[in-house]
Amino acid sequence: MATVDLDLLQGTLDLLILKTLTWGPRHGYAVASWIRETTNNRLQIEEGALYTALHRMEKRGWLEAEWGLSENNRKAKYYVLTTQGKKQLRSKTAVWTEYASAVFQVLQTS
Amino acid sequence: MTRIPGLRRLVRIDRDNAGVDRAVDDELQFHFDMTVRELMADGMNSNEARREAERRFGDVQRTRERLATIDRSRVERERRVEWWGGFTQDLRYAIRGLRMKPGFALAVVITLGLGIGANATMFGIVDRLLFRPPAFLSAPDRATRIYKAVTARGTERVTSFVGYQVYRDLREMTSSFEAMTPFYDNKLAIGSGDATREMDVGISGSDMWKMFDVTPVIGRFFTDAEDVPTNPTYVVVLSYPFWQTQFGGRNDALGAKLDIGAAKYTVIGVAPEGFNGFARTSMVAFVPISAAATAADMGRPDDPWYSTYYMAWLEIFARRRANVSLTVANADLTNASVQAYGRQAAKVRGRLQPVERARPRAFAGPVLFDRGPKEGSEAKVATWLVGVAAVVLLIACANVANLMLARALRRRREVAVRIALGVSRARLVMQLITESLMLAILGAFAGVTIAQFGGKLLSSTLLADMTAGPSAFADSRLLAFAIGLALLAGLLTGLAPMMQAGREDVAATLKAGSREGTVQRSRLRTGLLIGQAAFSVLLLVGAGLFLRSLRNVQELRLGYDPDRVLFVHLEDRGVQMDSAHKVTLLQSLLARAQTIPIVEHAAQNLTVPFYSTWNFSIFVPGIDSVHRLGDFSLQAGSADFFQTMGTRIVRGRGFTPADRETSQLVMVVGESMAKKLWPGEDAIGKCVKMNADTMPCRTVVGVAEDVRRSLISEVDLHYYMPSSQFHPSSGGLFVRTRGAADQNSEEIRRSLQALMPGVSYVTVTPMTTLVAPMIRSWKIGATLFAVFGALALVLAAIGLYSVIAYNVTQRTHEMGVRVALGAQARDVIQLIVREGLRIVIPGVVLGAIIALVAGKWIAPLLFNVSPNDPPVIVAVVVTLLGVAVLASWLPAQRASRVDPNEALRSD
Repeated sequence: MATVDLDLLQGTLDLLILKTLTWGPRHGYAVASWIRETTNNRLQIEEGALYTALHRMEKRGWLEAEWGLSENNRKAKYYVLTTQGKKQLRSKTAVWTEYASAVFQVLQTS
Repeated sequence: MTRIPGLRRLVRIDRDNAGVDRAVDDELQFHFDMTVRELMADGMNSNEARREAERRFGDVQRTRERLATIDRSRVERERRVEWWGGFTQDLRYAIRGLRMKPGFALAVVITLGLGIGANATMFGIVDRLLFRPPAFLSAPDRATRIYKAVTARGTERVTSFVGYQVYRDLREMTSSFEAMTPFYDNKLAIGSGDATREMDVGISGSDMWKMFDVTPVIGRFFTDAEDVPTNPTYVVVLSYPFWQTQFGGRNDALGAKLDIGAAKYTVIGVAPEGFNGFARTSMVAFVPISAAATAADMGRPDDPWYSTYYMAWLEIFARRRANVSLTVANADLTNASVQAYGRQAAKVRGRLQPVERARPRAFAGPVLFDRGPKEGSEAKVATWLVGVAAVVLLIACANVANLMLARALRRRREVAVRIALGVSRARLVMQLITESLMLAILGAFAGVTIAQFGGKLLSSTLLADMTAGPSAFADSRLLAFAIGLALLAGLLTGLAPMMQAGREDVAATLKAGSREGTVQRSRLRTGLLIGQAAFSVLLLVGAGLFLRSLRNVQELRLGYDPDRVLFVHLEDRGVQMDSAHKVTLLQSLLARAQTIPIVEHAAQNLTVPFYSTWNFSIFVPGIDSVHRLGDFSLQAGSADFFQTMGTRIVRGRGFTPADRETSQLVMVVGESMAKKLWPGEDAIGKCVKMNADTMPCRTVVGVAEDVRRSLISEVDLHYYMPSSQFHPSSGGLFVRTRGAADQNSEEIRRSLQALMPGVSYVTVTPMTTLVAPMIRSWKIGATLFAVFGALALVLAAIGLYSVIAYNVTQRTHEMGVRVALGAQARDVIQLIVREGLRIVIPGVVLGAIIALVAGKWIAPLLFNVSPNDPPVIVAVVVTLLGVAVLASWLPAQRASRVDPNEALRSD
């Protein structure tokens, strides 16, 4: 099974995180597991980069963080999508789809 | 979106650096624990699981730091946003509160406006006199005005006024300066025909342009080659406004010819707007000194203006080299002065005292005249008035603080409720400060508006010739100053209620009704009132002292009547006349003046009080070195001279038409001079020789009363000779009118002008305009101290009134009880007035003590008044007590009419 280094695709990590959070508040670990499971481990995500992205987006106001209790009753930091974050997700999705289809088109023509 | 309970409190914990770090650690720790747990559930042992977790994560330490940095800047921004939100909320709240009480807001804004306005006005003046360097001056810290000092009769005399030769000596003999220029300004006739007007012209050397950062708007400035005393070039640089009004701002002004004084000048350039050289007033043009002094025909053919030591009319400005210290420059200047003194002694052949006794020196003083050793008394008074204005502001602040306190007391239940509800005290304090700052800023705008009017009024009535330009009271410096004051005032006035809010006992206040607790008087408010009363006493005592000084000066006998006398000055403007011609002209002018119906007397003169003096060497048989006894100044006058001036002849006679060139040489001496030369003897019949011991005797035929003509505070040693016997072709006329002199000057000017040949002309100046600047410092002091003192009194009265009135309303219940128990209206009034006096009397006593102690500092600025003048102090004390009685009597009246039924029933 081929794996892809996500560093190649700038901004994609943000997009994935935002998408993940559309299903409700999650803590960092849950975000990482969800991405891994959904992609069947095909994307290699360094978890340090994931947390950096989370904090950066919190600072930009795309996410809000709240402390809460996890499934096993431990204190955990939950991230929630803000209105601004939802807007970002929409525009980023559009851009990314456009980009991917353009690249795909080029690869198809040979 | 779901919110987890308890969120806010948890988030708040992250608000400092340690909190941020802890939060990041907690988050990552949770992540690791979860990962390890999952991996172990998948069958790894704990070591393997940990290693795998770390591998997946990447560089933990770096990520941790990066996260902390991101979070810290996020927290910082959140804090700012939150603060701003609180601030705007406070502002909205304050605006709402003030709109509900517009009377209160207006009272505060006006009170602070007056205080800030007084300060802004004084700032405008003092800034001009003492702080702001001339516009465009480059390297102001190294630019200086040169002063010269010589010791005579044991006292050193310092002056900044010198002749051109002194400038040449210093320029030639010093090496500490990179630029040096003479400068003076003069009223010169500009234009020709009917359009001729006397206007201010700046006169300088070419180095002046090097001392300023200026470039010409068009054309160029004059050069060294155009400023050669022996070969003057008549070129002129116009001021920007003159170029605009007279030449329409056109470029073809360059090369145009312009009549200035007695010469025709070619326009070579235009200086930028606002440039006035070293002058304090507005100049219309700038010309080289070589041209101006040559055209004015200064000096004598054998001793021209550029080499004579006998005239002093200009000042020297210079810029020190960057690598030369002030001390070195001063040593250099003094060294040069000593050398120059030798040169002067050689030239004037032994008429100077020896150099050891004269101890000549020179030094570099501040560019601004009033910062230097010869500062005008106006500047000193202005500096005092800055302090006075500050006191007015303090009183205004005390008043506002009092109003705020009263409001705070009324709102204490509201405040207590809010504290009980968990609003932090810091937040409450912020809100109080926001409110007082907002009021203060509004006050600042009111103040600047007041300063606009006050400043204009002040500069036009009291400081006419001291400030340049209309913008003196409307600029950014003034605005910044006013806003600064407003911030200070806002903090000061917010402080009082803040202290109150900080101390509030919540439970007690909530339990008490509005009636209880408020009866206890606030010690802070009483203290503020005592301070106000003391300050008012201080200012009013100052006002009284200056008013008495002014009256003393105005009632002072000068030895002549300035109100009735006009001074006629002849300006030949280049028209050549020999002495015989001049004598004839003067005689016909005199004859014409005597025919004008409103003229009572007219006489020829040679010198003019507070305008020109002439000292001459005199010799008296039997007295060795007369000049050691003092400076004797002279006057020459025709018959009727003493009647014209109103100077009384004490003994002997004045001049008559019989005193002719060929008749016996005579002289009239002043009383002080007579006493100095012949103590205990009769001066009549004594002999005085002019200029040299070998000259014939002049016989003293009369003694005149003393005159004050160089200083208001001192009589001159003065003597008179008939014009026919001393320089009959020089000088002008004095004219005594039947009514007030200043209303008739134009009629007299027109009548005399008809006799003037060619472009020559006469100017007619009331003597009062020459005397006025001499008494100006007392006038300014009296006016402003009185205005500020009255302001202080009104503010203090309002403050007292509002406090008493407030206390009375709070004590309605108590008054009701008293009336119900049989107190008469008189008893109630007495009770309350006594309370008012109890507050004011300590303040008055305190103020009087301070005034007595501080008196010695103001004494030098007064005129023939002791700073502890009893009538002034008594009058002020009585006034203040009267005002206090009135301010408390009004609310007392209201209290005495309390209906006990109503008062007892209300809460």
